[in-house]
Amino acid sequence: MSSELGVRSKILFTLKRRSELRAKDSEPFKSMHYDLIVIGMGLSGLMAAKTAAEAGQKVLIVGKGMGSLCLFSNTLDILGQCPIATKMRDTLSQWIKDHAEHPYSKVGLERIEESLFSFVSLFPPPYSFHAIDHRNCLLPTGAGTLRPTYLIPTTMIGAASFDEGHTLIVGFEGFKDFYTRYVADQLKCRGINLQLPDPFYQELTATALARLMEKKSFRENIGWEIKKQLQGETRVGFPALLGMGDPIQVKEDLEEIMGTKVFEIPILPPSVPGKRIFDRFKEWLTEKRVTFLLGYPVSKATVTEKRCQGIEVHHPPVITSYSADRFILATGRFMGGGLKADAEKVFEPTFNLPVDQPPSREGWFGDLFFSDLPHPIHQAGVLANASLQPVDERGNVILENVWVAGSILAHHQCIVEKSREGIEIATGYWAARRALGS
Amino acid sequence: MKIKTEILIIGGGATGAGISRDLALRGIPSVLVEKGDFASGASGRNHGLLHSGGRYAVSDPEAAKECIAENKILRKIAPHCIEETDGLFVSLPEDGLQFRDRFLRACEEAGIPNTLCSRDETLAWEPELRPDLLSAVKVPDGAIDPFKLILENAKDAENHGAVFFLHAEVTSLLIEGNKIRGIEAKDLATGEEFSIDASFFINATGAWVNQVLKLAGLHIDMALSKGSMLITNRRLTHRVINHCRHPSDGDIVVPNETVSILGTTSIRLKEIENFEVTPHEVSLLVQETSKMIPAIQEARFIRAYAGIRPLFQSEEKGNDRAISRGFALIDHGKRGGIKNLITITGGKLMTYRLMSEKTSDLICEKIGREMPCSTHLNPLPGASRSSGSKERLKQFLTDRGEILCDCELVQRKEVEEFLREEKFKDLQDLLHRTRLAKGTCQGGFCVYRLLGVLHHFKRAGGDSNKILKGFLEERWKGIRPILWGTALKEEELIESIYKGIFNL
Repeated sequence: MSSELGVRSKILFTLKRRSELRAKDSEPFKSMHYDLIVIGMGLSGLMAAKTAAEAGQKVLIVGKGMGSLCLFSNTLDILGQCPIATKMRDTLSQWIKDHAEHPYSKVGLERIEESLFSFVSLFPPPYSFHAIDHRNCLLPTGAGTLRPTYLIPTTMIGAASFDEGHTLIVGFEGFKDFYTRYVADQLKCRGINLQLPDPFYQELTATALARLMEKKSFRENIGWEIKKQLQGETRVGFPALLGMGDPIQVKEDLEEIMGTKVFEIPILPPSVPGKRIFDRFKEWLTEKRVTFLLGYPVSKATVTEKRCQGIEVHHPPVITSYSADRFILATGRFMGGGLKADAEKVFEPTFNLPVDQPPSREGWFGDLFFSDLPHPIHQAGVLANASLQPVDERGNVILENVWVAGSILAHHQCIVEKSREGIEIATGYWAARRALGS
Repeated sequence: MKIKTEILIIGGGATGAGISRDLALRGIPSVLVEKGDFASGASGRNHGLLHSGGRYAVSDPEAAKECIAENKILRKIAPHCIEETDGLFVSLPEDGLQFRDRFLRACEEAGIPNTLCSRDETLAWEPELRPDLLSAVKVPDGAIDPFKLILENAKDAENHGAVFFLHAEVTSLLIEGNKIRGIEAKDLATGEEFSIDASFFINATGAWVNQVLKLAGLHIDMALSKGSMLITNRRLTHRVINHCRHPSDGDIVVPNETVSILGTTSIRLKEIENFEVTPHEVSLLVQETSKMIPAIQEARFIRAYAGIRPLFQSEEKGNDRAISRGFALIDHGKRGGIKNLITITGGKLMTYRLMSEKTSDLICEKIGREMPCSTHLNPLPGASRSSGSKERLKQFLTDRGEILCDCELVQRKEVEEFLREEKFKDLQDLLHRTRLAKGTCQGGFCVYRLLGVLHHFKRAGGDSNKILKGFLEERWKGIRPILWGTALKEEELIESIYKGIFNL
């Protein structure tokens, strides 16, 4: 046993030595060269990778995690804060006129629409994304509120006109991230909690329930149990966990048994619908031979003469170098690690790009959590020109072969604007287009 | 509703609850009225230090003697509220040893056990301390859970016949000649008004004493001194760490279960309500405490909070730390004011029992009954039961129940039990009595769950989301000053959930 361990540690040691040597080597590692490297695996990075792969590029996408997709992104927000009565095209057009610095204004209306079309085309029926009458619609949430959003998956369409007909909300005993009565009372409808046959798991999580739902017998039992308890309701709302891979089958089976419509309600993270989006991107990109490197952050970027030469990824104990002609930075905000803050300032850790921000920490946040004015720090971010290249305060391009996409960009307030996914899709698409020179 | 009692106590801090227990054990009936929950003022907003008295040994020898005496008593009567950690007074190279030598002499004089420890010895116990420290003096400091201590006092008082009205504000004192006949109060939860007649009235409202005295046209000179504290997300040391120097800002780090509390600042306030910790205070605390424990520079903080020290003063002084931390027991009858009104203020959590004893003695003298105090002899009701995070973990492993608060392992069962047994009026009541929302996320996740449970049991009183928003706004006061690094990341997540997914 001890000799085995000895051998193993020797190998590790050799690997480490090699990686150290390679890291010092100024010559890039030729076999690890790509046309484009996308740093960040959230929605903006995935959109950029898709756009580049469609153009026939050899693409590497590297990310520490799945970005905010697995947390939020139950539906796709474009500009949720704008009036429901107006068509999204007109809303965006006015928004661009009024907000010259906003990421949407850099991309432009037509390309925003192209990018949304590109996204939607990735999800052919049955699990597809829809805009109701080209406007925002209101969907119920796990706090019993109604929330405006734009593109919604097939599994949520049943909730889009919530005030029509009778709805039953269904939850699960022991699932602590959804409270049926809380939701149902506020939505002024009836709610029931289902007791699951036996404690399948020590703790019921959304992902565990989503997997259980994929078992035919499990969902059939649930369907029959609810059918017994129906009191004339024509629609049944579940927390958003109706299966990971084939939610449409789950929905249709339940609908057939109960004789009602079924819809999903967005809940606390993790987001099962967000994970479905990630999985679909991954499936498609893998088919197109895009290289995925998930789970490791970029530990270093090598820059010479205003150009990024390559990146290093640290997978202990090895450090691997990758080079490319062009790079897209799509690392997100604070949650994603794209922006970091110490007690004095906000900075961008990968390239140390200038970050537009309030002058001091006192000004980062307002006195109240809920206020009409968004917290100033949420508008901080990396400065970019109309081509989404990183620039300094005077507008000079800092890195000639780097483009920036997603929520890391300055001059938006995606939480309050309800524009997160729209910004990610539009800028991911546009950054890749500009990187490819189109 | 009209109530009659012998003694009426205003204020449900450590002193009010302590007096209530003391009187109850002497067989004297009392009613306590508190406008919030127990421990809502400074009693619940301190660093939870079981003083050895070392901190006052040089600057305030009287206070130091009181502390060590009470320290010994509390260890006997409230072992379940105390973690016996010991404390170190650390001397750093920039301090020299002059103060330390004075400190050692002062400890001797005050009767505080003290042991001088070498650098190597000290670092072996506490590796996070600065490696070039000169020496440390070990004293019997400890950590105390003020909420539990106060609730235990209240429980024992209730067992012996005392009555409480929480979330009830005194709106007027009914004065006849030079005596108070009774008070009028209002239940802040229901809006119901009621009056209580009593023979004697005790004003134990800490920093709020003058608000009560104003109802009788009286006033005493108080200095209100804000002290701010920071909580780290992990426990940095086993022992209480003090900076061995003249009491100053940022010279103490108190371990508390799984976290450490850094304190304190001292800022004179004109008003009581709406006091918040400023980013400047946060920077000051980090800068000063990291002189002793360098890792504090990189630490993650989970909350900042402040309390108001009600310092009694006879004349104006510039530096609040120079004002004695001793307490003031004022018989307003002797000052030519109201004959049956007593104000007890000043002091500190450590001396709450002594303050209660002296107040009750004065009451006994006034009503002409000779009943000796027994609060220093009788342990509090839960004293034989152990508690703390180890116990919670054990409980969790046995029950395998549904966990609402992942950070602090609070089970749904525990919350449901509370809802069944206790008089629940306000979300804070529940938060004071469980560990819910005390951990790293500060309730970011579990308060949604708690509201779900409250709503399920129809205890949310209508609009659950209004309560949820109220909690998040209150939470904001504590986290806004410490938002950078990892805490800022988490804040972005929480904001995205409540303003994003839930559109609140």
